[in-house]
Amino acid sequence: MTYKTDTNINEISINTDVLVIGGGLTGVKSAWEIASSGYKVILVERGSGLGSKDSNDQDLIKKVTSDSNIDVFTGTSIVSSAGVPGDYSIWLSKEDEILDKKVGAVVVATDSSIKVLDKEYGLSLSDKILSQSQMESVLVSDKEKIKGKSIAFLAGFAQEGNPVVTERILNSVLAMEEITGCSVSVYINNIKVASSGLERLFKEGRDKGAIYFKLTNAPEITDTGEKVKITFLDPVLRNKIQAEHDLIVIEEQVSADPINRSLAELLRIDLGPENFLQKENVHMFPVRTNREGIFVAGSSRKVCNLANAWMDVENVVLEIKNFLDNGTKTVPGDKAVIDAGKCTICLTCYRCCPHGAIYWEGDKAVISPIACQGCGICASECPMNAIQIGGYNDSFISDEIKAKTESSVKPNIIAFCCENSAYEAGLMAESFKMQMPEGLNIIKVPCAGKIDMDFIMSSFAQGADGVLVMTCHNGNCKSEKGNIFAGWRVAEAQSKLDVIGLEKERLAFVTLASNMGKDFCRIVNEMEERIKKLDS
Amino acid sequence: MNTEPKKKVMVVGGGIAGLTAAWELSGMNLDVHIVEKTCFLGGHAIKFCCKATEECQQCGACSVEKMLKNVVNEPEINIHLSTEIESINRNGNFKVSLNKGPKYIDPSLCTNCGACFEKSPEQGAIIQGFSKNNSPLYGIVEEKIPLIKDFCKDICPEGAISLDKKGTSETLEVDAVIIAAGFKPFDPEIKGTYGYNKFDNVISGMDLEECLRQNGCALRPSDGKKPEKVAFIQCVGSRDERLGNLWCSHVCCPYALRMAEVIKNQDPETGISVFYMDIQNTGNNFPVFYEKCKSDMEFVRNIPVDILPVENDKLQMRYLSDDEGSAVTGEFDLVVLSIGITPGEDNDKLSKIFDVVLDKDGFISNDNKLSKSFTSSRGIFVAGTAGGPKNIADSMANAGQAACEALNYLGREEHTK
Repeated sequence: MTYKTDTNINEISINTDVLVIGGGLTGVKSAWEIASSGYKVILVERGSGLGSKDSNDQDLIKKVTSDSNIDVFTGTSIVSSAGVPGDYSIWLSKEDEILDKKVGAVVVATDSSIKVLDKEYGLSLSDKILSQSQMESVLVSDKEKIKGKSIAFLAGFAQEGNPVVTERILNSVLAMEEITGCSVSVYINNIKVASSGLERLFKEGRDKGAIYFKLTNAPEITDTGEKVKITFLDPVLRNKIQAEHDLIVIEEQVSADPINRSLAELLRIDLGPENFLQKENVHMFPVRTNREGIFVAGSSRKVCNLANAWMDVENVVLEIKNFLDNGTKTVPGDKAVIDAGKCTICLTCYRCCPHGAIYWEGDKAVISPIACQGCGICASECPMNAIQIGGYNDSFISDEIKAKTESSVKPNIIAFCCENSAYEAGLMAESFKMQMPEGLNIIKVPCAGKIDMDFIMSSFAQGADGVLVMTCHNGNCKSEKGNIFAGWRVAEAQSKLDVIGLEKERLAFVTLASNMGKDFCRIVNEMEERIKKLDS
Repeated sequence: MNTEPKKKVMVVGGGIAGLTAAWELSGMNLDVHIVEKTCFLGGHAIKFCCKATEECQQCGACSVEKMLKNVVNEPEINIHLSTEIESINRNGNFKVSLNKGPKYIDPSLCTNCGACFEKSPEQGAIIQGFSKNNSPLYGIVEEKIPLIKDFCKDICPEGAISLDKKGTSETLEVDAVIIAAGFKPFDPEIKGTYGYNKFDNVISGMDLEECLRQNGCALRPSDGKKPEKVAFIQCVGSRDERLGNLWCSHVCCPYALRMAEVIKNQDPETGISVFYMDIQNTGNNFPVFYEKCKSDMEFVRNIPVDILPVENDKLQMRYLSDDEGSAVTGEFDLVVLSIGITPGEDNDKLSKIFDVVLDKDGFISNDNKLSKSFTSSRGIFVAGTAGGPKNIADSMANAGQAACEALNYLGREEHTK
């Protein structure tokens, strides 16, 4: 990476190669689309070939393997990574060799993994008990086998399920109805039809004769030797019903690839629920992660069908184009600056940065201006006060506190507001002419993570009657945990207030979204009332 | 230096999908025009409330606010409000004739002071937008102009209102089009036995969204008090064979459960019952969220057929109880009809103008099974709920996809061949 410094704008040239992890169809498609946009791609797959278990597009795979801008590495895994967005180093292991690669951006496109849930039903696969995948193979190559049979599906009792699971069942049901003498029953809990076309498939299956038993609890299943008996409580008739079937098809769970856990660690990206590689944070949707230049597509971030994975791929392409552009990035020179004289390399900043933006060069910490999102968590946490955030440096905010606490309107309320949420809500309350306290003074911060303990205490020291720390809701912080840091600092500040004899009700931590003008208004008015009571 | 003139894209519709597509395209250095038929940007989703309890529940309503802010602050995006598409002429690129409604409020003079709205003698003649990012924040309803003619003469301190303004025609030449015309919320009056618009305390999910956004809490329309017992009826207008609506709207289970959680979080004493057929997922964390819901509210797998008014503006429903297996009667203070997504009312018109095919349900059809943004017409793409039910996050993802496909199309210069 080379830096060209102008007065306060830095021009940085970055690597424009892209690493795509995962050679399933999502990864293959990503590689193809990114290469078609003019970037060189390294496609890495740990298995022996490209393509996915369930669907393959040989044309696309052929195009990708023969494209001179795409380097394909199969039988290869990622062993280590380092660096910052625009300049990532990745180490690959292929057979006994370690390969050292440099890329500007990374796309994670791991496939889903499939698990048969027979054990969860207390069953084991046999000639009468088939998994969904086994039944799909039968329907493709051995239809004779199920001619004239009575077949039952079990779904939604061992897992909540999702439209991908439902779609497979609905398609199998329809295929069976084409086979002479096949009768189909489906024992199911919530049938997940929230995907394009599924309700129609569901109806088509029923119209052709499939019987659906919607139950909230799993039925009893017993092997009678020749057949399998299913016993359940009919929800309408309220009595036990028994049915016999020749074959049982057990649902499968579609989940995240277990390798996601180690990839998250390797790439320093947050792991979300159920091992998916994205936190449930609306700021990340659709394909972003907590780190700049690392994107997730398809099954690496949620259970999805191919059409939704394709949607992700095209969003990844947009992100890649935005991020890599022509290999030159301009960033403000003062986005986040470490005073090397003050820094004692205690690593606090490295540990608390949610964006993996901090690294070392020699014996000093460095903040990558490309990776940095300017949240200011590091600046507030640094015990040496060695970090300043452009546009929000400490002296600027201190001056603002000073000016705003000087106001003679009482009670004086200082509200530190995250610019992404509470600040917007405040503006909304204003635009809609909501009645707010006269003594309310809003101070905008880039993220609640930048609300220093000093800011809170000096507001009181300079005459504020009350202080509000207004942040995003838990799980909605753009920097994932700025609001959590702010919450801790408020708790600590409250105990300090106690010590110096100020009521801790004068300080409050509240969470808001940008569209909650009414709530903003209520909160500040309640604060005013509370203070008035304390002062009376 | 690239001296070629910028390629132009028209985005039809200024809801979340249209805004996102426009934003993405302007980031790619294209000349973007948003054509919106109403006088406010933001579509339906800008009216939605935040559904966070202590935790964010990922409804995405704040993303709409953020995207609207992005777009209105981007000078490279041209916005045509109160504008409808008259016709297009395809000859290589598209020549679009626009019908621009009169600008009764001059945006260059209006300061959003709100005097016209607050003092209006006729309710509903002057309307207010839902977001502070709407500017002007106020609009004038054409049909009601005769009622406010005198009032408007000198109400505006800036002289921004003039009711004699006439509409204009304009021609736009664009290289590609993204249709993001959105959806029509199911009209719950169609299901007459629920008494929507007849009984005060039967409201739609959309009404509850607006109520929570504007009041910060759920209130009974009849007396403005907080309800003690609330019922949500799912699948109103969706998955309904009799209506021919053979689709799941994707959004109703998530919004109903999230809003129910908001109500419950504000007042744990509120009793909530959810009447459903099949509960649909919210996101990756659904199993955990659903468990929480099950512990907080009653789930009844039965859709009540009708609602009867009883004393104190309460509502009575008969339904089959899961526990007892027999019909029981329940009384509620507030009944929320979880209405679904139906095809946009302009889809037929748009289908003719742009020569795009509609699917069996009346949504704009995806031509390609795998890409959800292709239509049957080259150079014309679809995004968001115009192409079928989607939540906010999916509409945004679909809009990104449409923007990407439009870029590919323009890059290939197919349109000039």
